[in-house]
Amino acid sequence: MSGTIQDTSVEAIRTWLVGRIAFYLQRSAEEIDADAPLVEIGLDSVYAMTLSGDVEERFDLEVEPTMAWDHPTVNALAGYLHGLLGSRG
Amino acid sequence: MRYPAFALAEHLDHGLGDPRDPARPASFARCVALDSREEFPAEICAELDRLGLPRFYVPAEYGGELRSYEELLHAVRILARRDLTVAIGHGKTYLGAVSAWVGATPEQARRVGAEVLAGSVISLALTEREHGSDLLAGEVSAVPTGDGYRVDGEKWLINNASRGDLVCVLARTEPAGGTRGFSLLLVDKRRLAPGTFRCLPKERTHGVRGADISGIAFTGAEVPAEALLGATGAGPEIVLKSVQLTRTMCAAMSLGLADQALRLVLDFATGHRLYDRPLVDLPHANRTLTEAYVDLLIGEATSVLTARGIHATPGELSVTSAVAKYLVPTMMDRTIPRLGQVLGARALLTEDHADGLFQKIERDHRIVGIFDGNTLVNLNTLVNQFPGLVRGYRRGVVDPGLVDTVELARPLPDFDRSRLALLSRTGCSVVQHLPAAVAEVLELVDAGIAPPALAVQAETLAGLVDGLHERMAAYRPQPRQVPAEAFGMAGEYALAFAAAACLHLWLRNRHWLSDGPTAPLWADARWLRACLHRLIGQLRPATATGSGSDDGEDYDRLLPDLRAQHHEGRLFSLLPARLAEAGAQHSESPSRLAEPAPQASESPARSAGTAAQLSEVAR
Amino acid sequence: MTVDTAPVPGTAPALGSEPDLEAYLGDPHDPANPVGYPAVLAADERGELLAEGERALDGYGLNAEFVPRALGGRFDRADRLAQVLRAVFRRDTTLGVGYGVTTFIAATPVWTSGTAEQRRWMADLLLRHGKASAGYNELAHGTDFGRAALQARLDGDHFVVTGRKEMVGNLSRADAVTLFARTDDRLGSRSHSHLLLDMAALPAAHRRHLRRYHTAGVRGVLLGGLEFTDCPVPADAVVGDLGSAMETVLRAFQVTRGVLPGMAVGIVDTQLRTVLRFALDRRLYGMPVAELPHARATLVDGFLDLLISDCLATVVARALHVLPEQTSVYSAAVKYLVPKLLQEAAHRLSVVLGARSYLRDGPYAIFQKNLRDLLAATLTHASAAVCQATIIPQLPRLAQQGWRSSPPPPPALFRLADPLPPLDFAGLGLSARGMDSLTATLREYLAGPGNDPAVARLCGLFTAELDRLAEVCAELPPRDRTVIAGRRSFDLTDRYATVLAAAACLGVWWHNQDDPFLRDTPWLLAALSRLAGRLGLDPGAAPDGLERHLFIELLERHEENRGFDLVNRHLAG
Repeated sequence: MSGTIQDTSVEAIRTWLVGRIAFYLQRSAEEIDADAPLVEIGLDSVYAMTLSGDVEERFDLEVEPTMAWDHPTVNALAGYLHGLLGSRG
Repeated sequence: MRYPAFALAEHLDHGLGDPRDPARPASFARCVALDSREEFPAEICAELDRLGLPRFYVPAEYGGELRSYEELLHAVRILARRDLTVAIGHGKTYLGAVSAWVGATPEQARRVGAEVLAGSVISLALTEREHGSDLLAGEVSAVPTGDGYRVDGEKWLINNASRGDLVCVLARTEPAGGTRGFSLLLVDKRRLAPGTFRCLPKERTHGVRGADISGIAFTGAEVPAEALLGATGAGPEIVLKSVQLTRTMCAAMSLGLADQALRLVLDFATGHRLYDRPLVDLPHANRTLTEAYVDLLIGEATSVLTARGIHATPGELSVTSAVAKYLVPTMMDRTIPRLGQVLGARALLTEDHADGLFQKIERDHRIVGIFDGNTLVNLNTLVNQFPGLVRGYRRGVVDPGLVDTVELARPLPDFDRSRLALLSRTGCSVVQHLPAAVAEVLELVDAGIAPPALAVQAETLAGLVDGLHERMAAYRPQPRQVPAEAFGMAGEYALAFAAAACLHLWLRNRHWLSDGPTAPLWADARWLRACLHRLIGQLRPATATGSGSDDGEDYDRLLPDLRAQHHEGRLFSLLPARLAEAGAQHSESPSRLAEPAPQASESPARSAGTAAQLSEVAR
Repeated sequence: MTVDTAPVPGTAPALGSEPDLEAYLGDPHDPANPVGYPAVLAADERGELLAEGERALDGYGLNAEFVPRALGGRFDRADRLAQVLRAVFRRDTTLGVGYGVTTFIAATPVWTSGTAEQRRWMADLLLRHGKASAGYNELAHGTDFGRAALQARLDGDHFVVTGRKEMVGNLSRADAVTLFARTDDRLGSRSHSHLLLDMAALPAAHRRHLRRYHTAGVRGVLLGGLEFTDCPVPADAVVGDLGSAMETVLRAFQVTRGVLPGMAVGIVDTQLRTVLRFALDRRLYGMPVAELPHARATLVDGFLDLLISDCLATVVARALHVLPEQTSVYSAAVKYLVPKLLQEAAHRLSVVLGARSYLRDGPYAIFQKNLRDLLAATLTHASAAVCQATIIPQLPRLAQQGWRSSPPPPPALFRLADPLPPLDFAGLGLSARGMDSLTATLREYLAGPGNDPAVARLCGLFTAELDRLAEVCAELPPRDRTVIAGRRSFDLTDRYATVLAAAACLGVWWHNQDDPFLRDTPWLLAALSRLAGRLGLDPGAAPDGLERHLFIELLERHEENRGFDLVNRHLAG
């Protein structure tokens, strides 16, 4: 991706993730509990893999499709992605 | 609001009892077990005798109670939904006797009627091992002996050939054959000299495994002169007219089987959970269910109009019976396996899921498209009549009997066999009246009575049917080598018929059916829109990936109606019919039963009479 | 290891050679052949797996086909595996499923994620004709693996297993079971593990066999159930990491789903041959049925459906080697579309066969058995809806990138005689990441110099379709990207799979110009036209004589007793 500057703070990543998940589930962002397991709020396992596609596009970063399996809440994902993006320098 | 034509069907279904109760002789569990043992359902057929069904195989003029083919249609449908082997095994007596109703002298017909009423099994023997549907290539011969005929040769794949007491045999009476070279003989097996005939072993079949599908071989069998049905050489003509009646009844078998298939899948889809929700709430699954429901409603509209046409427009049956026999089984051959996809591997189980019934329905149904004139025979019948159909459409010919055909509350004239014709002189009024029906729909939309979406559908349909007739007009009939495209057009014609049937049914019955248990279906032309949606989609395959929106709302709107009919134990139908599962009549509001709908006062005294006779039969 | 000498006409092959299973199985119509149709039909009537057939396949060493070459077996190419098994499916689907596929499905997760010891153990077991069973199904949850309930609780040095598996092939007689078990109570995709069970070593008191499930199709397959009660299983039975079963499944099933449809082509190969035989023998209205235009068109269409199915099946099987990062989509597409095409073809053929398609005896009796078996083969190991639901979530990303800009595939994807790199089970991508090289073939051909105008015109229909698909899929409403998607998303996968089939046909034609049949343009034009018609696109008028040309090819193959698929080889008998 061209040199777009992304805000890669945990807070910004969390807000973006909540926005994506709310989009998929057709709910408002306020309804998404950032500490709830994604499966419990309705993101099925195969479907959770689409999230990794979104991440790759957004951050120009290659992640495992199973990313959301291993970091199964919004907060866990945000922390994980922040770590990856931070280490990218 | 009453629909008296269901009375006989309800009487039979309730008489046989709740099929889910394994203790009943006619339960699903017993029927599946009989099938797996390849055993004829004799006990159930005896029960049907007791319930008086044979009387409805015999026209009233010949001593029975057959007055309405619409009523017989629903009776066959209700038996098929329970067990096709029963419907065939018992109903084949009608098939065996029908040639007499169509072609015998009144005295003969009364004699045959007496046999049926006495419980004799009559079978129809047309096909031979080497010739299948090519009846004029038949080799079984009947040679005059002075005081009768000497019959030789073998008939094969004959229902009830072994169980039958009498066999109606198509035999070559002119060595050269030809359309006047065959005659029908009603052979009384009980009176044949020993050693002059032999019943062939029962064939093992894919479905209907308990049915007696066998054959009979004659070697010098002497039959008396009075065995001849109709005139010498009239065999092919009588057969072709008879099948116009029986093919309509075949459509009823498809309706019954698909009804039960849908019922089974709904049972499962409401109970089973997938991805944390009931399967019936998954959009893809419930669309499969509503599509099947729509197929059933289309099939019902097609069959009911064809059956009523036997009384009201018999001269057009060569067209309409071919449409019904082709379209309904072909449609259900697709619908039933699609329903099976919702069940997944359960659809294959022969014992474990819902008595193993689904796989039996799937196997059984395949025979409906094969027997009594297969798919290709029926399409060919339509192709041969393209010139007349095009003429009739262009001139807008409408038989006056169409009014009685489409308006369900109107009394039907008695069936008049002299009006049967091998080719229709008036084309097909149901299709030919489509432009007028479309105009009427547009007026209703303008007046704010019908939903605007219906106008778009009606106009689209009119355009497609116009275009179809232009293509049919360009076809030059070829006697043998009928091109595949002509079969394609004949298939489209059948879809056009179905669409026109739906339109007429809605226009002429929406008032009196705006009340009663199926009223929601009729509100907003809900069922009609879904049926037209489906038929237009098949007449005009999507040209490209569609736009952004799912255009299936027409189906989704029917889901509550489908679920209600399922829940209440009703037939999947435009009209109210209670199955045995729903229990006795008492849950029906008595005031509703007592209170006739406005048009019901016009309804035939005869139909009311039928209901009265039924209670008599039931004693 | 003992090899039974089976009473089969052919000679048993030696390991390491390239044996010929088709010839080994002998003439199908010979009543004396213990694995001919008469014997196959009789076993079906009894609801048994044909014992002589099992002995014959033991004698041939069929299990070796499932074992990677590195472990001493013959598996080195997925397309070849499908072709070998096709010989069995052509003969007896019940045997194909009940002897072959079940074992293959059970072994693949071990090849994918097992330790060296586990793979060695499984390989040895199969090479001595052992049976492995794939313990996935629970009737209450079916395809929804994430909710599978059979539980394995780790307790010190062993698991304690409780729960049941139902409707599983060969469970009652398996030497090994690959068991899909819940190892974590939480919902989620890390909550299940595979346990590799050595059935001989399991304490009998803690497991109970449920009775057999009987089915209308593949009647001889032994579908059983197993109930475990506090059954101890050694901790080292776990395949891969604890909690990794879902991931393993997503890889392993790409292989099994990618290969099965190519086997099923054999069923309809037999259906077509059976109906052609009838159409040539039977006279109706004064001429052979085969001369009736409708019958002839149906036969040619069946031939085309077979070629199309084989093109897609073969290309997807080769993609497992050549484009492993993309096959999550392709394997689902082929398992969805090919059984559907085959099913539709068989139904149309049944109309020509008429009443004979309904009889369980006589010269065409195999047809009704195959109708039942094909349905069963279609419904087992991922139904249409499951496959489509696998593709749906990937559609938006394919639409945004892959359908416009993926690089074309290497020619080896299509060149049937070319060698393939070994299949790297662990390298199969869980998601295609928006890449689709197969359809890029269509654009590559159109952009190339000197293309055939008729071919190019048809290819243009499919690239235009892909452009429209891209527009719609990129804008799919969120809910339509999930497992609860509406019908429209499912329809989109059908259209996409059809475009994939078109690309496969094009590639096979384009890159096999040294093959005397495949280089011929008419079959391709007819196949592409048929696929375009399936999408409601207007392929234009067929060139004069196209149907006749294909009918002559069909007749020649029949007279010379060759198969109707891409392999086009001589058959036994």
